[in-house]
Amino acid sequence: MILELVWFLPLLGGVLLWAFGPQLRSMAGPVGSALVGVSFIATCSMWQPAASVGGYHVPLLDWLPGWSFGLQLDRLSLVWTLIITGVGFLIHVYSIGYMDGDRAFARFFAYLNFFVFAMLTLVLSDNFVGLLVGWGLVGLASYFLIGFWFHKPSAVAAARKAFVMNVVGDVGIMFAIFLIVAKVGATGYADAFGKVASFSGQELFLICLGLFIGCAAKSAQVPLHTWLPDAMEGPTPVSALIHAATMVTAGVYLIARCAPLWSASADARNLVGVIGALTALLGAILGCVQWDIKRILAYSTMSQIGYMIMGVGVGAFEGGVLHFLTHAFFKAQLFLTSGIIIHALHDEQDVRLMGGLRTRLPFAFVAMLVGVLAICGVPGFSGFFSKDAILYDTLLLGHPFLYAVGVVTAGITAYYMFRMLFVTFFGSYRGDVDPSELGIRHPELAGIAPAGHHAEEEEPHGHAPAWLMSGPVAVLIPFSILIGWLNFGGENSAWARFFNGFFPAPALNVATIPGLSETYSTLLVLLCVIVGFAIAYVRYALPPALADAVVRLRGETIRTPALLVNAYYFDAAYDYLLVRPARALGEWFDRVIDPLVIDGAVREVPISAQWLGHLFRSFQTGLVRAYALTIVIGVVCFVAYYAFAFAGGAR
Amino acid sequence: MMVAPENYVALSAVLFFVGVVGVIVRRNPLIMLMSIELLFNAANLALVTYARAWANNAGHIFAFLVITVAAAEAAIGLAIVAVTFRRMPHVDVDDVAALKG
Amino acid sequence: MIAFWILALVMIASAVFTVSAQKPVYSVVGLLVNFVALAMLYLSLQAEFLAVMQIVVYSGAILILFVFVIALLSSGVRPFDIGPDKMAKATLPIAVILALATLGGIVATALRTPVAVKPIEGAPGDPDVFGSVANFGSTLFYQNLLPFEVTAFILMVAVIGVVLIAGDEGGPLGPRRPKRRSIEREPIVKRTLRQAQGDLPVGHGDRR
Repeated sequence: MILELVWFLPLLGGVLLWAFGPQLRSMAGPVGSALVGVSFIATCSMWQPAASVGGYHVPLLDWLPGWSFGLQLDRLSLVWTLIITGVGFLIHVYSIGYMDGDRAFARFFAYLNFFVFAMLTLVLSDNFVGLLVGWGLVGLASYFLIGFWFHKPSAVAAARKAFVMNVVGDVGIMFAIFLIVAKVGATGYADAFGKVASFSGQELFLICLGLFIGCAAKSAQVPLHTWLPDAMEGPTPVSALIHAATMVTAGVYLIARCAPLWSASADARNLVGVIGALTALLGAILGCVQWDIKRILAYSTMSQIGYMIMGVGVGAFEGGVLHFLTHAFFKAQLFLTSGIIIHALHDEQDVRLMGGLRTRLPFAFVAMLVGVLAICGVPGFSGFFSKDAILYDTLLLGHPFLYAVGVVTAGITAYYMFRMLFVTFFGSYRGDVDPSELGIRHPELAGIAPAGHHAEEEEPHGHAPAWLMSGPVAVLIPFSILIGWLNFGGENSAWARFFNGFFPAPALNVATIPGLSETYSTLLVLLCVIVGFAIAYVRYALPPALADAVVRLRGETIRTPALLVNAYYFDAAYDYLLVRPARALGEWFDRVIDPLVIDGAVREVPISAQWLGHLFRSFQTGLVRAYALTIVIGVVCFVAYYAFAFAGGAR
Repeated sequence: MMVAPENYVALSAVLFFVGVVGVIVRRNPLIMLMSIELLFNAANLALVTYARAWANNAGHIFAFLVITVAAAEAAIGLAIVAVTFRRMPHVDVDDVAALKG
Repeated sequence: MIAFWILALVMIASAVFTVSAQKPVYSVVGLLVNFVALAMLYLSLQAEFLAVMQIVVYSGAILILFVFVIALLSSGVRPFDIGPDKMAKATLPIAVILALATLGGIVATALRTPVAVKPIEGAPGDPDVFGSVANFGSTLFYQNLLPFEVTAFILMVAVIGVVLIAGDEGGPLGPRRPKRRSIEREPIVKRTLRQAQGDLPVGHGDRR
């Protein structure tokens, strides 16, 4: 009963706010937040049965033979549900402040609640079909929220792009489900995983591939990642909730959920591990050249999810899930903090036009600093534990190359996160500098979204109390620091005991365990982080760098390699390979098929009717004798028939 | 009896042939109607012949019905001819072509 | 035997004459000869009643009707086929070929399927014997009463139709009588006006 409540309350909120939003007005935010908050409390009350060995299961629909739908709350979905409702609640509260005064205030919360419901469907379903339904619904919610300010063409385009790419992933999952149904005859997780042994290696790989296509699209993995940076067109709380904390980690959830499949298929593990590492590296490199604060965070999200995917992909499920948990906190915190900055600077998102905010926004500085330290994996902060767990497990599981990529990426991460921190908070304020002096020639082309909701906002700013925005961030700060300590203590850590026996034990090949102990590995990662930090410090935080920051930033802007500015030309490649051929095909249809075949068929009908009419008209001579002749032709036919039918002399 | 029935049927066919040619070739409506009567009679001859051959007078009944219908047809046809050609300069069915498409 | 061939020759000759005559009156005469010969053939086929009917109905009624119509149109002396032939030139050969095909088909089929003639037992004229008038009558009224009644109905309809078509200028093809002026069709404003002027008593024409 309580589990149904957890699942149902956000949907109720969504429908209520959608239907009665205009009546609720400013109460829409608190109502939506309260429902998600109740959902969170209800989830907490379910801890005991959910954390038990079998998990907690509620059958709901079983009227269709071969398919039943139920809610399943086990340890894995418990982690996700807590994050979705808990962090979701905080972001709801934050949104009350952030979206205050927006004309579509209630609509925003209706969408947010709907998203929470969709995400809960995804993680609570006990079968693949329910998962796919949730998978599609979160894509829909994401579409709604990215395009929330639909008067901006760039937001609409971004929403459409995200939706289309997510549907590509949905199709992949659908094919995987088809394969599972063809092989097992059922879609339940338990049914499918119970028969893993009967799958051939190739079938297993194909299923994993289909599922991973879905993961890649949803979790912004190369090569289906291009929608995520564009998705930052949505309001900042959306970026925090959907495109950082929860929805984009659905791929991690799916792979962790399908751990039995991945454990059985070495090919799938290799593929996913490589893609994850590649995404982590490419995302981090792109993060180094971005100037839009939300885009920096978007690429860092992509990079961090690459870590998670690499972790769960190679078999380090506990580490991957832990990184999801820590990332949800510190990335939500980073995004919400960036929202505070954007709000305070009247919708300025370009870090080149910030600077020196340490004194103006001390709370934001502290929150951002904690988040950066957490994401970089500084010891004591949460990212340290989870990232190290993934990296060292990757090494243990026999992927030294992926390990190396991960370590290097950790250094790059430190560089670009501290770069953002220094450029934003150190030096002097540059908001009054002419943008062209900083090398910003075409704000639109540089990927800087102009402020979206100027028109929506009432003057003056901030009659919502400031604590509505800073409060949730303040709640997140201790979690960002402490949540990683769950994994402190190796085999006896709380995290390891919590997931004890949940995931299939990795097939450790002792012979391949390298002579690199965990301590040295940690030191190696730390070294990379320090190098990255040092480079960022030298380039952006030393007094000479701060003194001529304008000139340096301008130079860096101009000298950025085109390859990175264009994000490795993925978009251009898609444009050339898919969009233009499709458009050319459509134009060809428009030019040839439509006028000639479709319209032609329609035109041909009256033409042929007219032609037939002319033909038959010529028979109507009006001459009685001609009609008589026609009758005679019929007589001849009859006579001929009988002449031949009785040729043998019947009767 | 008699001549073989085939001869009667052949005679009937010849009469039918003459009637058909008359209907199509002549343009005087009266002669066309008379040709139609010829056709009826040809058919009747065949009916009566086979009635005799099989000693079954259903053929007679048929012929009788054909005669009555022919009478009705002749009456109506002649009425139409009379009314139509009272106003025509000459009696030619090709002039009555108001139904030409 | 010989009578058949003579009658056949007479019939063919008279039929060709009927079709090819220049004046309809000649055609009628040819047709009369044809019908009488046919009645004789009927007699040779033991169809006594039909032979009489052939003379009475065809020769007596229908042909007289033809003669009346010819006289009515007073075209009996005029040559026929005056106007231009509007049929296509190719029609005539096609018609002849088709008619020949019919002829050939019927004759070939008839000759190829010879029919054994059933002998008739019993005295001629006996009610139970084939060909007698009594036999014909009983078959017609006992077994085929419904078709008989239907032909009666058809004849009645034909009579009504002929009266309607050709009778006393009243038919659809006759000249229309001038329509009598009807008070009911008068516009109501005008009528009210006339009523007010006292031309028309009030209430007149209000009801149908």
